[in-house]
Amino acid sequence: MVEKNGASSIDTPKRFVRLRQFLGDIPLLAWLFGGLISVLVETQVGDALASLLGLPKVPVLFGCVLALKHPLLLPGALAYVSVIYIATIVLVGKITARPFNLLAEKMIQWPIVIPVAIHLITLYAIMHVWSDISLYRELTLKLTLIAIMLTLSLNIINGYMGEFSCSHPGFMSLGAYGASAIMVLFFVNDRLFGKALLPEALGPFFFPIALILGGVAAALGALLIAIPSFKTRGDYLAIISLAFMFIVKSLFENLQFMGGARGIKGQPDLANLPTVFIWLVICVWVINNFVRSTMGKALNAVRDDEMAAEAMTVNTRRTKMVAFLFAAFWAGVAGGLFAHTVRFINPNTFGVQRLAEVLAMVYFGGLNSVYGSIVGAVSLNLLSEMLRPLALFKWIIIPLLLILIMIYRPTGLVAFKEFDVRKLIQPKHKSEKEV
Amino acid sequence: MRKGFLVLVAILVLGLALAPCGWTAQKTIKIGINAPITGDIPKVGEGSKYAAEMWLEDINAAGGLEVGGVKYNVEVVVEDNESKPESAAKAATKLITEDEVLAIVGPQASSQAIPAGEMANNYGTPMISPWSTNPDTTKDRPFVFRGCFLDPFQGPVVANFIKEEFGFTKAAVLYDVASDYPKGLAEVFKEAWEKNNGPGSVVAFESFTTKDADFSSQLTNIINSGAQVLFTPQYYNEVALIVQQAHELGWKNPIVGSDSWGSAETVKLCGEDCYGLFFSTHYASAGATGATKAFIERYNKKYGYVPDDVGALTWDALRIVQAAIEGTGGLSGDLKKDREKVKDALAGIKEFAGITGKMTFTPDGDPIKCAVIVRISDKGEFEFFKSVCP
Repeated sequence: MVEKNGASSIDTPKRFVRLRQFLGDIPLLAWLFGGLISVLVETQVGDALASLLGLPKVPVLFGCVLALKHPLLLPGALAYVSVIYIATIVLVGKITARPFNLLAEKMIQWPIVIPVAIHLITLYAIMHVWSDISLYRELTLKLTLIAIMLTLSLNIINGYMGEFSCSHPGFMSLGAYGASAIMVLFFVNDRLFGKALLPEALGPFFFPIALILGGVAAALGALLIAIPSFKTRGDYLAIISLAFMFIVKSLFENLQFMGGARGIKGQPDLANLPTVFIWLVICVWVINNFVRSTMGKALNAVRDDEMAAEAMTVNTRRTKMVAFLFAAFWAGVAGGLFAHTVRFINPNTFGVQRLAEVLAMVYFGGLNSVYGSIVGAVSLNLLSEMLRPLALFKWIIIPLLLILIMIYRPTGLVAFKEFDVRKLIQPKHKSEKEV
Repeated sequence: MRKGFLVLVAILVLGLALAPCGWTAQKTIKIGINAPITGDIPKVGEGSKYAAEMWLEDINAAGGLEVGGVKYNVEVVVEDNESKPESAAKAATKLITEDEVLAIVGPQASSQAIPAGEMANNYGTPMISPWSTNPDTTKDRPFVFRGCFLDPFQGPVVANFIKEEFGFTKAAVLYDVASDYPKGLAEVFKEAWEKNNGPGSVVAFESFTTKDADFSSQLTNIINSGAQVLFTPQYYNEVALIVQQAHELGWKNPIVGSDSWGSAETVKLCGEDCYGLFFSTHYASAGATGATKAFIERYNKKYGYVPDDVGALTWDALRIVQAAIEGTGGLSGDLKKDREKVKDALAGIKEFAGITGKMTFTPDGDPIKCAVIVRISDKGEFEFFKSVCP
């Protein structure tokens, strides 16, 4: 655990130990409550505080964009962030730690669904209030949540199964095109598919079905590639899957009734924040259960040694197939949500660049870990938004960061860590003894 | 630790004391530029940015923008869209909600202009895309305009020009099937040509995929088809390869192109092979007169190269925005209402004299303007040959 703080913990371990001791007794719910209070405070006094600190507006992404554009405002932005977020969260968390610990102790005895629901509702409330302040925050948040789904689904193949698959943008585009085609065909008066077949009011009810069908389309695509490619391993699978990505891309470029190179626009605006959040929760829950099930363990066995796994009665072929299709399905769902968030797709969106992004998020965050996928997707997405004012230099800083991560933590930031919900929500009194 | 903390606090306080100056000054109008500074087409982003810088210089030299008797400071906010659709949407949203711009100029390419236009229209902010030719960009979006003519106009212009100039009846087309713009234009051209010369008069309709570099099989088909002219609406890097390979294979007839040829790189890459060829575009840099000439010379002096059509169109788009803002007759300070006013003023602009021609917007937000046929001279300059008006 001490290693988490890297090099600095060697010079000054005491400071961090003390900090951890100080914060160690705050349970997750108290953190979330602190977050909720801090975003509520921001909506109430954010504008006033910003103008008091001489900022033109409430800093949108933790002050980074502002500070990079106008370096003189850096102290103001820093002060804003530390007052609104850091101070409020720590203060509220610390004060409410005791009651929430008691609550957590009680909750852990209830059926797991109830405490999890309470946590999730609080988390959603934070996001909702935070993104309500600016539409830009909302869009960034939605795309970040979608990126988490995508990263997580790729992590099944590249992390848990240990193969290097490059076909994820292909699956994503199958899902995006599938869901878009259904929604546009039925609910939008459009140049491509003509008049809407059903009244628009039915759209929200059909949207989940369209997303699932998009996911199924992606899974079918995955089946096509899985049959020939699972006779190979390693580099060969990477090449075959890369080829698949290009095939899908040029398929959509040549499918005139799907818009060809011009793409599809005008998807109904249904991917709002709650929808994306609910899909993400389902995705994390299902994938987490999958990788912790017998199937997930079998998958790890296949990764470590396929022959030995086979000898230990693991049906390797079936395991690999299921995992591959499963991952493709979620990539397809993420693609569908992406299409309905941006409300425009064209084949070029799902090219090599997207592949590089997703792979970077997986390897940055950490292989074989749900935490890692969340960390990777969130940090790379926010980072790339926050460094936006740097234009070209952004593309020097982010890859550099990736290289450093690969040198110092070759499997990513939070690799091989199990996502245990029970452990997350338990009370935190006893942790002091551990330290 | 404590000492470091104290120093930090001291710096913060000092910084805070110094920072607030400059924020409470004069009233400011912000104009957003949504351009591909990084990504696949950085040259386009650079052209847009430079044009915006020059425009801002002019405004500042005049001491600001005068609207309804009040002088406003003008600030240009350049946002990078990485030439990605979702990033363009984010950049547009950021400009609208964070920077609170009055109007947006850009994005340039259609695949970014369509999603960005969606955001601009939803959130009621006027946007002009100087360069996007896809009809979807402005369709059913009252807040979105464009600065260039559309493919359904350009295709017939080229077809008619070839007919009048050479009197040919058989044409061949070579285009990139995977790229939105060439494909659309190739189809429009084919339709127009067959309308003029009867069905089957496009004797070869050959395609390739983006990043292909060898066109010999398509070109051989075209040569064997007995076509008298080749139309290829490609970008500069492909134009050079196509023209050179066609000549190597023994093609002697004219090759005609579209506005995507209008980059300084075309001649640089293509060399003498391209001399004497024709293409349709927004403006001709060589032999330009008046304001166009002044713009080209100023740009060339400042940045060291002759601006291509993106720069000129962006310049015009900015000037139209300026005219619209001035035409509102006074801003209320309420951003939502002001944006609405600017939109109405934009829609009402008649016969705006831009450096790429006169323009009037249709109700869809597309301009009615003339196309120019350019001949690449024996010195490699883009020479005005003819102007075709709708």
